[in-house]
Amino acid sequence: MTGTLLVNNLAGLMIVTSMLVIAAKKPTLSAGLYALQSLVLVGIFITLANMFGAHELYMWSISAFITKVVLVPLIMYRAFCKLADPKADGGVISTAALFMIAAAIVLVSYFAVQPVQLPMLTELKPVLAVSLGHFLIGLLCIVSQRNILKQVFGYCLMENGAHLTLALLAHGAPELVEIGIATDAIFAVIIMALMARRIYRTMNTLDVQKLISLKG
Amino acid sequence: MATLDLFITLLAIPLVTSLLAFACRLTGDGSQKLVTMVHAIGSTLLLVTSLVAVWTVYRQGELLAAHNWLHLDGLSALFLAILGIIGFITGIYSIGYMNHEVDDGEVSVGSLCSYYGFFHLFLFTMLLVITSNNLIVMWAAIEATTLSSAFLVGLYGQQSSLEAAWKYIIICTVGVAFGLYGTVLVYSNAANVMANPGDAIFWTEVLHHAGELDSTLMHLAFIFVLIGFGTKTGLFPMHAWLPDAHSEAPSPTSALLSAVLLNCALLVIVRYYILISAAIGNEFPQRLLLIFGLLSVGVAAFLILVQHDMKRLLAYSSVENMGLIAVALGIGGPLGILAAMLHTLNHSLAKTLLFCGSGNVLLKYGTRDMNAIKGLLRVAPFSGALLAGGALALGGMPPFNVFLSEFMTVTAGIHAGHLWLVLLLLALLTIVLAGLVRMVVMSVLGKQPDNVSKGELGWLTTAPLALLLALMLLMGTHIPQPVTQLLQQATTIVLNGDKAGEAELRALSVPGMSTTGAVSTTASQSTPSQQEMYRD
Repeated sequence: MTGTLLVNNLAGLMIVTSMLVIAAKKPTLSAGLYALQSLVLVGIFITLANMFGAHELYMWSISAFITKVVLVPLIMYRAFCKLADPKADGGVISTAALFMIAAAIVLVSYFAVQPVQLPMLTELKPVLAVSLGHFLIGLLCIVSQRNILKQVFGYCLMENGAHLTLALLAHGAPELVEIGIATDAIFAVIIMALMARRIYRTMNTLDVQKLISLKG
Repeated sequence: MATLDLFITLLAIPLVTSLLAFACRLTGDGSQKLVTMVHAIGSTLLLVTSLVAVWTVYRQGELLAAHNWLHLDGLSALFLAILGIIGFITGIYSIGYMNHEVDDGEVSVGSLCSYYGFFHLFLFTMLLVITSNNLIVMWAAIEATTLSSAFLVGLYGQQSSLEAAWKYIIICTVGVAFGLYGTVLVYSNAANVMANPGDAIFWTEVLHHAGELDSTLMHLAFIFVLIGFGTKTGLFPMHAWLPDAHSEAPSPTSALLSAVLLNCALLVIVRYYILISAAIGNEFPQRLLLIFGLLSVGVAAFLILVQHDMKRLLAYSSVENMGLIAVALGIGGPLGILAAMLHTLNHSLAKTLLFCGSGNVLLKYGTRDMNAIKGLLRVAPFSGALLAGGALALGGMPPFNVFLSEFMTVTAGIHAGHLWLVLLLLALLTIVLAGLVRMVVMSVLGKQPDNVSKGELGWLTTAPLALLLALMLLMGTHIPQPVTQLLQQATTIVLNGDKAGEAELRALSVPGMSTTGAVSTTASQSTPSQQEMYRD
């Protein structure tokens, strides 16, 4: 029982940290907060591993720690510390509105997962709702922020949400699956960071609203 | 050749070619010749091996190797054939096109090596999508196609091409993240209900247990899969990356994106369509495909009509054709699915011809603006004629191939009782044809501008076009027997054990495919729709 309580509370903490990642002004600060969120995710993995006696999940926590808590934030920190465009900070909507939308997303996700019938899930449905909501909050980050680096974070948040769902519903999956997803995410972040640097060097901006020469 | 060896050879060829091409950067002087040779050999070997693999599937049926990780059946064989042929043709065209770009100083020799390197890496990732039986690898490979082709889109390094590359990479990775979520839902549900959870990752195994999957989760999963991989397929409203990426990429890459990449994502959708239809029935997936497909055709048709940028016009035509394939799948039944498969092949041939043709225009005129491109027929008569022929064929003019598959889609729609949908579709296809005719009138006809020199660009950039037009004519009049068989095998797999449907499929006398009688029926039936099309 305590395990369930812990997991549900940690899941709530995931939402809080993701809001911090979105609301933070500087991309480097977001990178740190993202590492913190991944640490919460690893905590959920370990608790779930303990509850289900799932050996694979311990392995997942290790590889998730290496990739998500250490590697990806480090890559982002190194890549983003040289890119600064204060004019692009902030979002197209106010932070308060952002929080309201996020709350609505979590509520909708809660109702969306209600009809799911899987025996192991009865007590962990809030976490399933959070994982779906977290995924959609990542999308919210991408559409609401002006800084293109924030879009990279949005992708990472979405990826964390999908990862949590995977851990929740299929903790028996072979380690290879987890490694495959994590490797892909690292490559995606590296290539996005490289592309962002090329854009910054060529156009001297990180504002997505300045990237409007193509339309129609 | 053993099955595993075949798979390994198939996957190794583009990967090794890619690495060699990257390595050519280090060779200094003469690397242009060397990398071109590596590229030509790699493209040819890939064509041969893919055709061997397709032939093996055609003779032996389904192939499984590497502990179920790799898989080829009639359905993926069709897409493999497209990849092999289009990869080869765009490969040959690339040589002519990129040499011009290097001579003009648009691209450095170093970038040329990277271009060929990423070109083959891109082919490798698409090959992995086609041959993977592992659902997660399938997703990862789709994601990898974005990462490997983003550099091709941003090759010219200008503001607009970087912007296009950024939009491409963000929209597609986010879209494909939806695909991951759908994949996770299907996989985790299967792992919960299957006796051996380790098998839940293989498409072929999950299919055996599809009946046991949770209905709510599968509804949710199909929505995620369609949004996710639909982004990569270019379905409206997730298509926003497509016109930018297709227009800013070098022309051979545009052709590859449009004719092979979109199909690969489509193949993944079809795989999930089969799986989820087996779990919850095909009504829900079909309805979603119809909605997304029809919206894509509708929006793209009007945007085609108002475009001034030639490559953007062609890009919207890709959205339109992918929408049409989704509509055909949504109509369903043996005829609808067969039409979808045939149209996939036909669209790939036509769109490669047009994107390569637009590449010739770009080399000649230095612009994609159709207000500035005039009199191509006088400047380069052969390219002009091929481009005009290709455009009309793409618009659905008989006796070319696209007419045939569009006509089959319409017939399937009438059979399934979607009369209003068919009328709407015909109206939209008429608009598309009008848009393509407008393109021909604006750019191919007219007076030749003073600042453009007369003459063709060499056989490397025109012969592939001629070959494509010949193939389109062949596919429009006498589809070769093995191709018919392959299409029917693919359709049977999508029907997934629907015995009545399979019997109906065997009884179909598909126009242009078999007997002369069938051809004459088509001709007489086609009059109303042709009249509709000729009205403009």
